[in-house]
Amino acid sequence: MASFLSTVKRIYLAIYNWAIFTGWLQVLVFAIKALNESGTAAVYDAVEKPLQLAQTAAILELISVGLVRSPVSATLPQIGSRLFVTWGILYSFPETRTHVLVSSLVISWSLTEIIRYSFFGMKEALGFTPSWLLWLRYSTFLLLYPTGITSEVGLIYIALPYIKASEKYCVRMPNKWNSSFDYYFASLAVLGIYVPGSPHMYTYMLGQRKKALSKLKAA
Amino acid sequence: MKVTLVSRSGREVVKGGIELEDSATVKDLQETIHARTKKYYPSRQRLTLPAKPGGSAKPVVLNPKSKLLDYCEKDKSDNLTVVFKDLGPQVSYRTLFFFEYLGPLVIYPLFYYVPLYKYFGYADTDRTIHPVQTYAMYYWCLHYSKRILETFFVHRFSHATSPLSNVFRNCLYYWTFGAYVAYYVNHPLYTPVGETQWKIGFAFGLLCQVANFYCHIILSSLRSPSGNGGYQIPKGFLFNIVTCANYTTEIYQWLGFNIATQTVAGYVFLVVATSIMTNWAVGKHRRLRKLFDGKEGRPKYPRRWVILPPFF
Repeated sequence: MASFLSTVKRIYLAIYNWAIFTGWLQVLVFAIKALNESGTAAVYDAVEKPLQLAQTAAILELISVGLVRSPVSATLPQIGSRLFVTWGILYSFPETRTHVLVSSLVISWSLTEIIRYSFFGMKEALGFTPSWLLWLRYSTFLLLYPTGITSEVGLIYIALPYIKASEKYCVRMPNKWNSSFDYYFASLAVLGIYVPGSPHMYTYMLGQRKKALSKLKAA
Repeated sequence: MKVTLVSRSGREVVKGGIELEDSATVKDLQETIHARTKKYYPSRQRLTLPAKPGGSAKPVVLNPKSKLLDYCEKDKSDNLTVVFKDLGPQVSYRTLFFFEYLGPLVIYPLFYYVPLYKYFGYADTDRTIHPVQTYAMYYWCLHYSKRILETFFVHRFSHATSPLSNVFRNCLYYWTFGAYVAYYVNHPLYTPVGETQWKIGFAFGLLCQVANFYCHIILSSLRSPSGNGGYQIPKGFLFNIVTCANYTTEIYQWLGFNIATQTVAGYVFLVVATSIMTNWAVGKHRRLRKLFDGKEGRPKYPRRWVILPPFF
């Protein structure tokens, strides 16, 4: 019984990881195609659908957290910030879509995710990962985290004036439930979280890298 | 007798051990340790017996009142190994509670009396204060004054102290939530509910506060002044039907406040406080049921609601 369940779990995880891998591969291909043919302003429109699908599906990852041993403190901020930028900034404020940072964002995210999901996909499907893939998984972040985080922060920052002017997602007093929500301040708060959050994520990955690569040496 | 004091990693904390009279108590040991290392005053010391190899049982904590001999093995009454852990800087529970509760007591009236809202972008021109806002402020201040009074005159604490880091954590919780709720209830654009509703809300809340006070009196009488510190089955008043009647009355008291003031902020505070107290209640209920299992002459813990009849 126990081994049946663990096989089901493996199949679920294998299918999940390769499906999301395909989504991100699509994002990268469409992005490069758009860059070649039209330039940075066209990138968002080209990747919007697969990007939204692949990024939002990551919520399923949170369920997987129970199945896979990544700590919540590393997964939650990452998924949170990705969803915020995908839906709360790019989708909600079209004025941001033509900015060059969208290109760097999309490329950073898709490269990272392609490597990450193929890494987990292989592990679940084949039981092992080739050492070059392990090396990629634990080394590309050294460049892609800074570029990705800079793009995220940059896009949130340029969206701020549009957020303030539009009153979108804001709840104002007076109302029956005596509550209020200011999306502009919430966005500032999110920017604030990046200050401790980015070093936390980066040092977490550095630690993971050390562990993973030393295991590789020992093997 | 000689006491060998080791850290959890096996290193000797006091080189050469400590010589004490055979009749010495754990308290004497603590004071000797403090005399040898000024940093480690007794409430910072956690002294346990070495864990049995292979066992997962919780280590035995030394009781300050007990004799050291009581912890020695049968034929080894001249030698005892004790494991030492530094609990970090400690603060008395009274101090901790005082500062936790002082924040809300001071911060809430600030939002009521001081024209702060202009800093949030609301011109303070013709601000009408609704009666319910005034009563809410009295209610809130009564609540936290009551808590401070209970801290000094009613509560009996099982542990004398708490780690210093808890001061920052707890004050952050109480002070932030205090400001959060105060901001909305005292807001210039606050919309009050109907008069009947807030009257019922406050009346219910006050009733629960009185009940909560009585619960605290009962709990304090469970602990004898000699500070035996052991657990007893709570009895009387609402404790006959609910294990943690003190938490129950506290939760319902906040519910009364929210029925009267109706803010999302207030309800968020209620939900968070409830989940914290429920967590504690489950632990306490479990502990009591484990302790009072009806065996070996101990009374059996009666069937009771854990915290929130009729739900749980």
